[in-house]
Amino acid sequence: MTLTLGHYLGMSAILFAIGLAGALTRRNAINVLMSIEIMFNAGILNLIAAWHFRYFESLTPQLFAVFAVTIAAAESALGLALVIAVYRHYRSVNVEEMTALRG
Amino acid sequence: MTTAFWIITIVTLLGALLAVTLRNLVHCVLSLILFFLGIAGHYFLLRADFFGTVQILIYIGAVAVLILFAIMLTRNVTGEEGPREILGMKWWSGAVIAALVAGVLLHAVRRDATAAVASSAPKPLSVADLGRALVGDWVVPFEGMAVLLTAALIGAVVIALEEVQRRR
Repeated sequence: MTLTLGHYLGMSAILFAIGLAGALTRRNAINVLMSIEIMFNAGILNLIAAWHFRYFESLTPQLFAVFAVTIAAAESALGLALVIAVYRHYRSVNVEEMTALRG
Repeated sequence: MTTAFWIITIVTLLGALLAVTLRNLVHCVLSLILFFLGIAGHYFLLRADFFGTVQILIYIGAVAVLILFAIMLTRNVTGEEGPREILGMKWWSGAVIAALVAGVLLHAVRRDATAAVASSAPKPLSVADLGRALVGDWVVPFEGMAVLLTAALIGAVVIALEEVQRRR
């Protein structure tokens, strides 16, 4: 059996769902950020897989992935800074206790 | 290549599953590192060597260490969650939503993308090609990324410092 783009897309879909489940169900904010990292990685893997199977001659998918990785790294740094700021305020990183903006 | 794919896929899925299910936060980060390593293995398998290296450098070298520092700063160093529940109050609705998303995505993949087989291109892209493109056609988004990274750096420092200044 040869590998196809579908193998990679299917695996990324499962990884994305795992990350989404973690982001929606865990109550620790750091765990939520880790789940978001999983979703980011699943998406970027899609770009690289599409480059390998469909657009091997083109640079564009790889450059898109470069920018996606950069944004993901900036996002995780900002997210963790937010978690630390929230911890200083609430003395907790439980997302269910962050209710200051609840309507 | 197929055997390697399945081995790396099992490692990756295992790492991701453990990272979202384990109770101890430090163990979660270690599983996350396993997941990042699996993704890097996939990149090497797809002949995107540069991206495999970048994955190890940025994600394992920087992001995982950053998460470990955040865990150390927000709780006791061992990262034990204690006797309290790790899942939120309405965790089942989140699980249902994730399962639905997985179903929709897998359905779309099955319908659409099973046909593409690897192209037999002669040579993989070199890092030199990427670098030349980044300072050539793609120089404007490249510089935009530089601005974004600077803004994110300053923003992270400002957000993390704010409370300290107010307390003095």
